[in-house]
Amino acid sequence: MKQIKEISLIAILAVSIASALAVQAAGQAPQPANEAAGAVSAGNALFQQNCAFCHGRDAMGGETGPDLTQSKLVRSDTTGEKIAAVVRAGRPDNKMPAFNFSAQQIDSLVAYLRARIAAARAGDRRGVDPSDLQTGNVAAGMAYFNGAGGCSNCHSPTGDLAGIATRYQGLQLEERMLYPKGAKSTVAVTLPSGQTISGTLAYLDEFTVALRDSGGTYRSWPTNQVKYRVDAPVDAHVTLFSKYTDDDIHNLMAYLQTLR
Amino acid sequence: MKLLRNRLAFAAGTLLFAAWCSFSACPRLLMAQDLESAQLLNPPPDSWPLYHGDYSGERHSRLTQITPGNAGDLSLAWAFQTGQNADIKSSPLLVDGVLYFTVPDHVWAVDALSGHMIWHYYRRSTKGLHIGHRGVGMYKGWLYFTTPDCHLIALNAKDGTVYWDKVFADVDRGYWSTMSPLVVGDHVIVGVSGDFDNLPGYLRSLDAETGDTQWQWDATPPAGTLNSPTGGMTWMTGTYDPGLNLVYWGTGNPTPVLNGRPRPGNDLYTCSIVALNPDTGKLVWSFQPSPHDTHDWDAVETPVLVDGDFHGRPRKMLMQASRNGYFFVLDRTTGKGLLTTTFGPVNWSLGVDAQGEPIPNPEKEPAPDGRLIAPDEGGLTNFRAPSFDPKTGLFIVDAHPSYSIYFAKPADGAYGWAGADYGLWGKGVIEAIDYETGKIRWRHEVGPGGSGAGVLTTDSGLTITGDSAGNVLALDTASGKTLWHAGTGSGMSSSPICYELDGREYIVTGSGSVLFAWALPENGNATR
Repeated sequence: MKQIKEISLIAILAVSIASALAVQAAGQAPQPANEAAGAVSAGNALFQQNCAFCHGRDAMGGETGPDLTQSKLVRSDTTGEKIAAVVRAGRPDNKMPAFNFSAQQIDSLVAYLRARIAAARAGDRRGVDPSDLQTGNVAAGMAYFNGAGGCSNCHSPTGDLAGIATRYQGLQLEERMLYPKGAKSTVAVTLPSGQTISGTLAYLDEFTVALRDSGGTYRSWPTNQVKYRVDAPVDAHVTLFSKYTDDDIHNLMAYLQTLR
Repeated sequence: MKLLRNRLAFAAGTLLFAAWCSFSACPRLLMAQDLESAQLLNPPPDSWPLYHGDYSGERHSRLTQITPGNAGDLSLAWAFQTGQNADIKSSPLLVDGVLYFTVPDHVWAVDALSGHMIWHYYRRSTKGLHIGHRGVGMYKGWLYFTTPDCHLIALNAKDGTVYWDKVFADVDRGYWSTMSPLVVGDHVIVGVSGDFDNLPGYLRSLDAETGDTQWQWDATPPAGTLNSPTGGMTWMTGTYDPGLNLVYWGTGNPTPVLNGRPRPGNDLYTCSIVALNPDTGKLVWSFQPSPHDTHDWDAVETPVLVDGDFHGRPRKMLMQASRNGYFFVLDRTTGKGLLTTTFGPVNWSLGVDAQGEPIPNPEKEPAPDGRLIAPDEGGLTNFRAPSFDPKTGLFIVDAHPSYSIYFAKPADGAYGWAGADYGLWGKGVIEAIDYETGKIRWRHEVGPGGSGAGVLTTDSGLTITGDSAGNVLALDTASGKTLWHAGTGSGMSSSPICYELDGREYIVTGSGSVLFAWALPENGNATR
């Protein structure tokens, strides 16, 4: 009987600890005011050491890193899980490293970011507001789209770009307009046998080329054993960089923002 | 003069010794882990005694065991796992058979023969940005280690214990530090970082033995001076000409960063290359790669010192591939510009003035509705080191053609960053620049996004660098063609070094959190 009592006690303790940890990890436990302030302070210290260089000391943007107080992901993250995921995995394409922080450390960062959002006043913002990006002319933008910009070669206001300004606004729309990160390329790989396999480009460096074929299967080859040709429509955006005037860009933005 | 004569005698003796060592498989006689001035002036082949390898900053090794002919046989001699998450951004030092390298808060001493750890020093700094660390400096039996919270710690190289600890900047005002100190004579020269506050950048010289402050050189007037910048942070390690007795240092961008209105004029000495007397810290000459900068383009890239002909005349030159997209060749005696040219897409200037300094276009200053700028904030190059190869006359740099948008509006104020900028696109290209003309003789693409790898060249005609996919590359210096590669699993954010030990040439690279040593197999067998 004594053994059963001990096991029950241990089990109760274990469940209590586990649930306390789970609650802490989810960041949902209501905290007394001084604990919350402690979390913000700890998050501030951690943020200054590890994040401030890119995201700025007040999280409003710094060297290459975006203004987190205006980030959709940060502002919509009620549990802290989305922020945790980004911090733990990093954003390799955008040169953000991965950080192996504990659950408590991440909680403190989330608390700090929430405090920064609350504290940011409109006049203080150093991010880019959609209202900053309204200096262009719609007609000139449409003319550029159909003319010198060459955009209509690949894009259509009633086709792929229909509703684009509903999907994206402000800085995010302008960044995607200038260079859409994540745009896919295709590749055709010719094997020594003469057979050609085509698919979505999955990986390319000097030594390895890989694709996902029409069935979704990943296949790769040494570049010195095959011939391959990449078709990257997104390169047209890169070609335009040396051609745009700043007025062209503002006018294009004005035009695209009509495509709601 | 007596000191100079003694140094020359030491240097001559060391040269003879080094020459003998390079012809025979010379056993390591100096087991004391000591580094004298003579070795810094003329590093023997079994050493890499400062960040650049030597005072010239050419990052060019005289070793010839690994050649274009046999580089295809390179293999892993050993790897050292740091067991922590920060990327290695330091160049290791190699002195007396021991490698010393860092990440923020950490120094490791590793046996260069086996890759095993000898000691590890960890000092947790709770303040100051931990963005990266370039490595230690060394003199006699001491290592000099900067910390994020701006301490300079002198460590005993034998065992990593602390000899002294001096504060050289106030982290609470917004300074932090990442750089590898430069040791010249008994001067340990340190620099600071700090772009998020309006703070003057500076260099400070501390006594190698006691840590006492010897002099300070300030890059700008004090904060609050009307119509003047602050900034000019001294992020990286300078170079030194013992004959002219001048240290050459690059300074960072002005603050406020993206708002140039409070600081009209050229904003001296931000984004400048300055020549200082290392004994007094007095300015001898200056040249400004980026006058009135509004794009965060530090001019702190290596000021590479080259003696050679320029358009038929022997010159003592200084070369810099600068963040803002310009490549400069100067006469390092006077600071006179010899050549100014771009080495990639640049769209922010109206050309170059009579001194060879770029003229910024006011239309390309950050604006409320944004300006398209080439290159991006990270620059056409950055802290990854270039290399100069004397045989081909090629200045080889890991370049980053790129585009970005820059914003600044009155609401952003005049403090710290004072605006926002966003990179749009970039890629990495290794470029071999003919220093007399600025023409790019060959290009080697290294991938979308860009590569963080520095460049090392060797007398045998090898160029060692890395691509954006984590491959270490050995290229043929004459043509840029790939001779060998190895996938390390993480892009390099540091610059390679090279040394000889017990008759075997090693190339050491750091990528991710791992240090790799590469060498030819011994006796044709697999690496022992």
